[in-house]
Amino acid sequence: MTHSTVQDPDTPSMQLDNASPAEMDLDGDLENGLIRPLDSEELVLALEEARILVIGAGGLGCEILKNLALTGFKNLDVIDMDTIDVSNLNRQFLFRRKDIGKPKAIVAAEFVMQRVPGVQVTPYFGKIQDKDDDYYRQFQTVICGLDSIEARRWINAKLVDMVDDEDPTSLKPLIDGGTEGFKGQARVILPTINSCYECSLDMFNKPTTFPICTIANTPRLPEHCIEWASVLEWPRVWGKEVKYDTDNPEHITWLYQQAQTRAEKFNITGVTYSLTQGVVKNIIPAIASTNAVIAVFKIATSTAPYLNNYMMYTGNDGIYTYTFEHQKKPECPVCGNLTSSVTLDPNMRLDEMIDWLKDKPDAQMKKPSLRIEGLSLYMQAPPALEIATRPNLSKTLSELLEEGDIITVTDASLPVSLQMKVNWK
Amino acid sequence: MSVSAPLIDLKTQKYDRQLRLWAVTGQTALEHANICLLNATSTGCEILKNLILPGVGSVTVVDANLVQEEDMKTNFFLEPASLGQPKAKAVVELLQELNEDASVTFTIKEPRDVIHEDKAFFDPFTMIIATNLHERENMELADLCEKTNKTLVIVKSKGLVGIFRIQGPEHPVIETHPENPVDLRLGNPFAQLKQYSNSFDLDELDQTDHAHVPFIVVILQAVEKWKKENNGKEPQSYSERNEIKAIIRKGMRTSDEENYEEAIANIWRLAPSSSSIPSDVRQVFEDPACNNITAQSEHFWIVARAVRDFFENEGHGRLPLPGKLPDMKSDTTNYVALQNVYRDKAKKDLAAVIGHVNALLKANDIPENSISQDMIESFCKNSAHIKVVRYRSLEDERVKNPETDKIVTWLENEDNMSYYMVYRAADLFHEKHKRWPGSRGGDNLEDVKLLRIEVAKVLGSLQITKEKSDILLQQQAMENAITNYVRFANRETANLSALIGGLAAQEVIKLITRQYIPINNTCVFNGISSTSAIFEL
Repeated sequence: MTHSTVQDPDTPSMQLDNASPAEMDLDGDLENGLIRPLDSEELVLALEEARILVIGAGGLGCEILKNLALTGFKNLDVIDMDTIDVSNLNRQFLFRRKDIGKPKAIVAAEFVMQRVPGVQVTPYFGKIQDKDDDYYRQFQTVICGLDSIEARRWINAKLVDMVDDEDPTSLKPLIDGGTEGFKGQARVILPTINSCYECSLDMFNKPTTFPICTIANTPRLPEHCIEWASVLEWPRVWGKEVKYDTDNPEHITWLYQQAQTRAEKFNITGVTYSLTQGVVKNIIPAIASTNAVIAVFKIATSTAPYLNNYMMYTGNDGIYTYTFEHQKKPECPVCGNLTSSVTLDPNMRLDEMIDWLKDKPDAQMKKPSLRIEGLSLYMQAPPALEIATRPNLSKTLSELLEEGDIITVTDASLPVSLQMKVNWK
Repeated sequence: MSVSAPLIDLKTQKYDRQLRLWAVTGQTALEHANICLLNATSTGCEILKNLILPGVGSVTVVDANLVQEEDMKTNFFLEPASLGQPKAKAVVELLQELNEDASVTFTIKEPRDVIHEDKAFFDPFTMIIATNLHERENMELADLCEKTNKTLVIVKSKGLVGIFRIQGPEHPVIETHPENPVDLRLGNPFAQLKQYSNSFDLDELDQTDHAHVPFIVVILQAVEKWKKENNGKEPQSYSERNEIKAIIRKGMRTSDEENYEEAIANIWRLAPSSSSIPSDVRQVFEDPACNNITAQSEHFWIVARAVRDFFENEGHGRLPLPGKLPDMKSDTTNYVALQNVYRDKAKKDLAAVIGHVNALLKANDIPENSISQDMIESFCKNSAHIKVVRYRSLEDERVKNPETDKIVTWLENEDNMSYYMVYRAADLFHEKHKRWPGSRGGDNLEDVKLLRIEVAKVLGSLQITKEKSDILLQQQAMENAITNYVRFANRETANLSALIGGLAAQEVIKLITRQYIPINNTCVFNGISSTSAIFEL
């Protein structure tokens, strides 16, 4: 890229060359609030050469693809592993009733190419994890319209991992964010440079999980009855191997009826089919207008990275937008350089420590395995190793560790391992 | 599996994600709306997309132009085959297929002509959305809408900065959907709540039961204990509440008792400030419309007055109890019993309010049952969070009573006010030079000079002194706004159109569903800095 010297909201961020004084005037000066004339020729060329990856072809994905295509980008890729459902049609406007059941990525790509001449949209119907480093290296920017924390952690870690200090083009800005009802947020992640997705994990509320004793013994809310049906009663009746399918109305109906019966037993009101669906699928309300706003925030942040770096939006009471800089965490397990330090009670048992790890909002682990150099403390898998390390669970930490030891924690939900240096309380 | 799925109709399935926001009542209102879009601009079409997808009833697009190359670059609702066709017809085809539930039609007419010569055309519409019209037409339209009680949304969208302004009839909102609507009345527990709380003998309970006493009871009993130790005085201050906290901590048997921790965490609910009524509600109560109930009064005001009457009588200075209980650590029986205590009180309060409503109806010769029970119940559940939004007319804003002082302060402190000025100046520019600023393309320093002259004129028309005006014109924000506007080259951009489309449609939905709180009255979105500002002009 030899032209496009200054960032402009309508061009993707390219290399930051220095502009000559003669060029500066018409190039605009974004840091001081001036844009370049919007009918400039250079804009068009820059857009045509860029390759952008859009992850997710749902509510946000549809809006992002439309906007990128109209803006003038010619090479777009889109990944989505889902097929189209009737409940998508109120906002995912690239799909019609006749498309129900078809892969989102493919239908979205076809629609955009037909509507906007000249743009090439290459779909992939599958998981982001199916693709390798070579695939991701092709793109200038990655824009996400995802609905899962795990997927976001994965792509975040992948892009951080790909950064090669010797090669500036290996740095791919990752634009993330989501919406819920009238609210949303968008943020730009410059891998290894600013706050990454993992750095901000503790900002997100853990999805509501009710304590098992409430579900089993003292339900109070209709939600507790529904969780009882899905978490306890379903496996009891159908066996642990058979999982319920949240897209199967028969399954939802069964859960609803079970929840209803239980609620009646406890004089609890409020169990409905809609609530059952909402709890079991963790449904988040969504409308086109909020997606429209956040999609543009995403595109704006991808083209003006001086915009630091997290934009929040609420629309339920008036309109309110707020931008702030989320700080990078030096001890972030994905992008940080420091090992995090942890102060522990030497008399704490290993199983208690594992429970504590599971509750940490900044790590969100499910089944962590722990080892120190030369010794596996507790490994969740494979079964032989689990059995072998199980006796350690009832030992105190002082029996297993010394101050200064570095514990390596691994977990399926952690894209990398976590290093923790031990200090005694 | 031998269950048959309940017959959830296709529409409910399709709209599931939005029904969770505004329920069937909101959806019905949306489906009865009839909206007119003037000018098939990219922004206008984006607004419509966000209304058609959720199922708005009817939309009519008015535009006399034919589709040009330029239009297709930024409007998703035009395709190659649209070139040369009437724009209104072309966009309607592609908008209609977004949702068969909505009725989307077109009229090939120049909005300007309809506004000046055929006002009756607007009769069937409940809302008019005017995009990138000239100020002259906007003012005429505003006058028409004021006289016919229609809502008007004026949108200006060029380049990277967009503005929209709402003018409409008085807009009361009952369902504002507040974030934390819990009202527990701990500071002044009603009789049944006291009775329920006193029915517990905490010391006699075994460990399991002790750990499952609802925190409300824990707090109330601690308050009683404190009162006994303080001559029956009511705890008022922060330090007194800390003393109650200490009593609670003493009552904790083990460090694991979550219910006791909840009690400590909720002590703040005893503070006197949490029992006073919010200022928005006070304003409603003190409003002349609430004072003077007549046969012509809107239902909202009749019910508001009934609630005020309740507040002043049976309510003893408290609003009707909403009756909702948040979850808390407790066993089922106690929780349900406590929930019923709150629900019963809420029912009693509702009955009293209904009594007042009926009295008001009778006193004004309005037929009984004119106001639905559902509406009164909704009001009672939401009484602490109601809001009335009143919009100043465009005439007041521009002609009769401009907010000059506020505008000057904003110009000095809020960058985005400059764009409001520049857009107004652009209209004067067009009147004088018969073309829009920047329409000749490129950098166009000449247009920047000329536009600055018109900005000065607008400032002058607001009675701002030349001295002050010169200072304001020299500010960096104003310089940038003028220069940038010219560089917009008088065209829309896809991204800004999409964004304004989202914001404006959201406000339209709030206005139609009468849920959530709409802005009052002007929103500027700056796509260069990615900032927004709301001005009440």
